[in-house]
Amino acid sequence: MNARILVISFLTLATLPGEGPSAFAIRDARVVRVSGPTLEHSTVILRDGLIEAVGENLSVPAGAWVIEGKALTVYPGLTDALSTWGIPEAAPATPGAQGRGGAPPAPGPPATPASPPAAVARGPEDRPSNTSWLRAADLLSLSDKRIEAARSAGFTTAVTFPTHGIFAGQGAVIDLAGDRPGQMVVVSPAGEYVSLTTGRFTSFPGSLMGVIAYIRQIYLDADHYRLTRDMYQNPAGLRRPAYDRALEGVLESPRVLLPATREVEIDRMLRFAQELKHPAVLYGVHEAWRAVDQIKRFNIPVLVSLKWPERAQDANPDDKETLRVLELRAHAPKTPAALSKSGVHFAFYSDNTRPQDIRKAVKRALDAGLPADEAIRAFTLSAAEIYDVADRLGSIDKGKIANLVVTDGPIFEEHTKVKYIFVDGAKYEPIPEEPPAGSGTEKTE
Amino acid sequence: MRRLWSIPARFFLEIACVLMCALPLVGAGDDSFLLRGATVHPVSSDDIPNADVLVRNGRIAGIGSHLAAPKGVRIIELKGLHVYPGMIDSATEMGLSEIGAVRETSDVSELGNLNPELRAIIAVNPASEHIPVTRANGITSVVTLPQGAMLAGQGALIHLDGWTWEDMEVEPDASMVLNFPIVESPRLRFFRQNATPYSEAKQNYEQRIRELEEFFESARRYQKARVAKEPGLAQDLKYEAMLPVLDGKVPLLIEATREKLIREAIRFADKEKVRMILGHGEEAWKVKDELKAKNIPVILGPTLELPVEEDDPYDRLFTQPAELVKAGVKIAFGSFNTSSSRNLPYQAAAAVAFGLPYADALKSVTLNPAQIWGVADKLGSIEEGKWADIMITDGDPLETRTEVKQVFIKGKSLELDNKHKQLYRKYLNRP
Repeated sequence: MNARILVISFLTLATLPGEGPSAFAIRDARVVRVSGPTLEHSTVILRDGLIEAVGENLSVPAGAWVIEGKALTVYPGLTDALSTWGIPEAAPATPGAQGRGGAPPAPGPPATPASPPAAVARGPEDRPSNTSWLRAADLLSLSDKRIEAARSAGFTTAVTFPTHGIFAGQGAVIDLAGDRPGQMVVVSPAGEYVSLTTGRFTSFPGSLMGVIAYIRQIYLDADHYRLTRDMYQNPAGLRRPAYDRALEGVLESPRVLLPATREVEIDRMLRFAQELKHPAVLYGVHEAWRAVDQIKRFNIPVLVSLKWPERAQDANPDDKETLRVLELRAHAPKTPAALSKSGVHFAFYSDNTRPQDIRKAVKRALDAGLPADEAIRAFTLSAAEIYDVADRLGSIDKGKIANLVVTDGPIFEEHTKVKYIFVDGAKYEPIPEEPPAGSGTEKTE
Repeated sequence: MRRLWSIPARFFLEIACVLMCALPLVGAGDDSFLLRGATVHPVSSDDIPNADVLVRNGRIAGIGSHLAAPKGVRIIELKGLHVYPGMIDSATEMGLSEIGAVRETSDVSELGNLNPELRAIIAVNPASEHIPVTRANGITSVVTLPQGAMLAGQGALIHLDGWTWEDMEVEPDASMVLNFPIVESPRLRFFRQNATPYSEAKQNYEQRIRELEEFFESARRYQKARVAKEPGLAQDLKYEAMLPVLDGKVPLLIEATREKLIREAIRFADKEKVRMILGHGEEAWKVKDELKAKNIPVILGPTLELPVEEDDPYDRLFTQPAELVKAGVKIAFGSFNTSSSRNLPYQAAAAVAFGLPYADALKSVTLNPAQIWGVADKLGSIEEGKWADIMITDGDPLETRTEVKQVFIKGKSLELDNKHKQLYRKYLNRP
């Protein structure tokens, strides 16, 4: 018992940002708990990085910093449910340059200086494009400028992934602040990021069917690998199984993230996920408005990209766009409303949208019929549930991590300003808003 | 006993019959003959039932009923058969490319943007396997075109018969080929990261247009210097080749597909005051009024193709020929291919099914191309004085089931056996 207290107090000390009180009280505020009804004129008390109490008429602990919450609203901190924040190498080189029509989200440039040089692979046995063992938690860097930008936009949490290759590696749930990268990690590994990138005809797999067959084989191999490894616990008379890090990574991951944008891709991936016998999450899903029943039937959660399809900025004005492309562009923002209506479990992800532009992107989903409270849930508790961290994140409840965003109005409304952000109980203020996009914003990326 | 020798007798009789029937069709070397008793389709005028066509020294010498065969001229009985002028494919790579994927057999294009001095005619391989295949379907002449980045060279109108290219030439300088520059669309690119942004693609396009305009300007200055007999003027083949184009003697075949580029091409031809023929023209229907106003003929690519835009109606290319003809635009068909040149009549036929009057369809593979390429005095119809480029069929040549019985080029009866038929026979006999 004594030892436990010691350890806890040591941890507490370690997480404290130096001097100052470890307690905050936000008083007389509107508190959007998400897990329960919204409370008016209530108080939230934070201590030692956790939410100590929430409710009406709470007494403020002595020595706590007090924030007068009149006219303020407190939300759980927002979560980017599939991100590269915190991995600076994965920042997009030219924001908004890629991404047209219905193509699956393009992975960023090499996310990992550690990824091996691309050799020509002959088949799945060479484990091409597979860095499944890579952990985002090991790649984190506080030097990523996007962390502060994200925080200023109300984000306290991200599930960040390496995104290079077919089996890119394992994500981590991270808090968007800390003195050392290790302090940011909430849970690792959080899932395996899978993309359908091909070897460009020089290396296996060079085709979509090759990629699918490859992923299928990897999961079969992983299953077999686990069996032999478990059997070898009692090694007498058994041939020693070879170590395979490409399979270790797959086995370690609690879930797999599969890309699907178009209806046909969603359908394919739902069936494929079932076949893999591994918990799965689909990401992208812009055409899910057309496939909600199917998604519901398979009961697989989805992550909706906030990079809504747009006409390429530098497109030929004489190129007539096809109805298919126009339809997806027009209807994609209807997807969250459709998912919400039919009760599909979904969360949002930034998909390289600049943090300061995310509110605009969410607005389009709201305009297409998504109720505001559903949008907030998707950004908070739903994301936490999908990654199985709802016991510590995603709502304003006693005992959860003190990740909050305090605003002067409804969070997704245009003129609402973020006043404070709390990450692990530490208070941050947003960086001053930069001039509107397009006028010299290059520096931030 | 009687029965015994009656079998060989009957067999003999049959053989004799076959020989006799076939005999007139397997022509001798002689290029003078009388075609008798056929339905003649002159194309230039109404069909004449039960008519005769007299051919002397490779040329048509008379058409009419009950023509008397001059002394020594053999008579070919064609009762129940049809006589048509041989067809003309207005765009091929015939003789320039044998197998596209085998570099050694392909002499179609040269490097560089401006190669007007290249002459397709001298590169034609008279022994190409495609030639007998094509003419077996009644196509007697083709325009064979060089390919290239911009000014690709000179296309030639050739007969599909001859030991050498000199034998084959009808109009060696039928056209100057210009592949009009395009604004490269990222949609055309396979790998997204290689896509040129529009601003850059547009710059490239404008630069190429400038290059083209400057070249025409230089050619014009060369022309003036030459006319003025400027002392010390060095002869330049590129500019020499441009002279007949600038004079309007040789037309500029501009290949363009999309509406905007077709308009740009028309503007360019106007500015340079050259005679334009539009090639391909998948979106020519959008520009039909301008084409009519400026009297620009169109060599249409294959009809049986998908539309250029995903959202176009499925029959966009099927209906275009009818639309252009209705607007008064002169059209001809080109296969823009070599191995499928033989399908030329069916491209025209598809247009008939979608509204093109039959007579216009037939003209678009016979008389129209002859007029467009400036050889209507020699080819394109069954008329007195023209070359005897003739096909004899058992029906409408635009029908796939029609059999071409005999083909004459300049009155010479041609072998209709070809690689397709040889392979057909070979595999028919496979045990």
